[in-house]
Amino acid sequence: MLVSTAREFLRRHCPPERVQEWALDERGVDEKLWQHIAELGWPGLLVDPALGGSGGSILDVVLLVEQMGYACLASPFVTSAVVVTSLLATAGSADQQKRLLSALASGELIATLALVEEAGSPDPDDVMLACRVPGRLTGRKLFVKDAHVANLLAIVVREREGLSLLLLPSNRFGIARRALAQISGEKIFEIVFDGVEVTADDRLGPAGHGGAPLASAFQAGALARTAEMVGGAQRILDLAVEHARTRVQGGRPIGGYQAIQHACADLVRDVDTSRGLLYLAAWKAAEGLPAATDIAIAKAHAAEACLAVARRGHQIFGAMSYCEEHPLHLVHKRIQAASLDFGDTQSQLEVVAQSIGLT
Amino acid sequence: MDFALTADEEAFAAVVKRFLAEHPPERFAADGMDAGYGSGAHSRAFLRALAEQGWLSMTWPKTFGGQERPMFFKLVLMEELARAGAPFGPLPGCWQTADAIIEYGSERLRSQLLPQIARGEATFWQGFSEPGAGSDLLALKTEARRDGDDYVIRGHKIWSSHAGISRYGLVFARTSREARRSRGFSMFVVPNGTAGMDIRPIRSLTGDVYHYEVFLDDVRVPAELRLGPEGEGFVALLNGLDSDRFWGRFYKAPALERVLHQLVEYANTTMVRGTPLARDPLVRRRLAGAAVDVAALRTLFYRAACLLRDGAPITYETAVAKVLADETGQKVARLGMDLLGLWGPLRAGSPWAKLDGQIAHLYQTTLGHTIAGGTNEILRTTVAVRGLGLPSAR
Repeated sequence: MLVSTAREFLRRHCPPERVQEWALDERGVDEKLWQHIAELGWPGLLVDPALGGSGGSILDVVLLVEQMGYACLASPFVTSAVVVTSLLATAGSADQQKRLLSALASGELIATLALVEEAGSPDPDDVMLACRVPGRLTGRKLFVKDAHVANLLAIVVREREGLSLLLLPSNRFGIARRALAQISGEKIFEIVFDGVEVTADDRLGPAGHGGAPLASAFQAGALARTAEMVGGAQRILDLAVEHARTRVQGGRPIGGYQAIQHACADLVRDVDTSRGLLYLAAWKAAEGLPAATDIAIAKAHAAEACLAVARRGHQIFGAMSYCEEHPLHLVHKRIQAASLDFGDTQSQLEVVAQSIGLT
Repeated sequence: MDFALTADEEAFAAVVKRFLAEHPPERFAADGMDAGYGSGAHSRAFLRALAEQGWLSMTWPKTFGGQERPMFFKLVLMEELARAGAPFGPLPGCWQTADAIIEYGSERLRSQLLPQIARGEATFWQGFSEPGAGSDLLALKTEARRDGDDYVIRGHKIWSSHAGISRYGLVFARTSREARRSRGFSMFVVPNGTAGMDIRPIRSLTGDVYHYEVFLDDVRVPAELRLGPEGEGFVALLNGLDSDRFWGRFYKAPALERVLHQLVEYANTTMVRGTPLARDPLVRRRLAGAAVDVAALRTLFYRAACLLRDGAPITYETAVAKVLADETGQKVARLGMDLLGLWGPLRAGSPWAKLDGQIAHLYQTTLGHTIAGGTNEILRTTVAVRGLGLPSAR
């Protein structure tokens, strides 16, 4: 139900021309579309019904985001409605949850996560940004997605007690942002904190206890980004097969040549395995079973396989897919960007390495 | 969406584990080569031990002596056996033949063969390929001519696994020259030792015998041993091939998991200049990558399993699963050879051989897997044409 609604909605409201426009546009987010999405209740998918959400599971999120990936939709959904919403749901006080989760669920509030720094790593051990609470925060975060539309920043900092989470309104005095130009058209930013005032009320959870909620939100983010990759790869498969059926060269559709047939067969293999591992991991997470290894496997595999789909897709399409107006390259670059978020392949494979017992 | 085993299946897995603890696989003599697919060596004794548990016939209808267990019990059994490295080589072939006999078989086949299969006494070889009919199977020349109540079969079959040590052959032959290309074929159950049958071993590149060629010189077979209606053999074969690809490769993922565990153990315990091999970042990454590949393989087989269980149409799912199974097997074997270095190629039984020489065996046998049962080229074409609707190249 959710999937068919999403598919139809996105087919209508997120056609390739619009995706193209948003990618080229500096702002790149359609507020009207976000409002429409909010009316459908999607941002409240993970929020408790008592707070205005629909109380869905991470498996529902994955099915929905897969469709967003298929449509190549640019939106703050994953950072706001999945990652920061998960953070609040596990670490937020009753008051924070009541105030913020309902606003996130209704889509009025958009939040994003500021985690990565100059080390270019999302590993909590690499978080160096120090903060005293109460006190002033000075330093920077990088690769912060959709910071230009977010009213709320979830910031991972290091206190004396350990890793902590802060929630700051993005317009607080001393916070500035600078756009980083990404080939995928996704909007990402450097955030600079210059003596920003922080009080105990700005904390999300107790001092030094940010690690656990961050880990679970991180898993939700990894699953959602994997779903985007799978949706994107399915889109490329559909486009490539359609092209192979209709493009005539040498007097026959190119899909009649074995070289193209076998390339298409490999696309199917890569999409099916990526989706299978994704659903298995999401199902385990939704059931509350240990899922860290499955998520790492799913993401590592999708990063490899879905990117291979994208590259093979270009080869099947030939020169046409080298054009900016052709939809393929943006789906490709979106997959590429997703493959790096919430743990790149190297870090996922290290999780797998430990799970199989390598010392 | 539900990936969990049912309580019954979990309980059955525990029963199989107990059986394996009480019947250690290494105690059963192998009488035929392990072809590396994951079903271990050919062992009649082990097959009989499985039969004693009632496991050969457990999914059959009660009228044929079965227990009407759900299909997933077979998957549970094969996973446990493959993980333990048990020699259950002939089992998948027995199951498939029994299913075909239950579906298409004559009274005689049902009453004579099913009990033999259930007891673990009947094993089968497949007589499909011929010297001039490999990927182009329908180019086959073997003919079965009707003569009264019998057929007389004449031809030459090749690449028949374990034909010399099996009890029956499943011989695919032309029964009509007039019929259109895909019609006019029939399948026969031919007992080994029938007059006119000459079975000769083919030594494989491993140095052992796995395949045989079979000369059929006017072999006389009662018409009751035809499996299915005359001329309908190809349709039955195609359906059979879908399940053949499935049942012939399902256990590859758990078997490769077993190999990976051995390689992990090897990397953990092998010291290179004072550091475990497992600490080498490239070794780590390749082993973890292989674990991901095997997990991916497993999902394809479980998805195909659900389709088979639900009777949903299969167009490409088993073909793509077999392609991936056999390419993943080659990848894991190559990784093993790379890790073992100079020790890799040492044969089982040689001084200094590591991991019992199993990696060298796997490396060799996996070379044949992407050819047997439909080459990966034929299967990729199947995926494209049957699965994606791309135009046939013909």
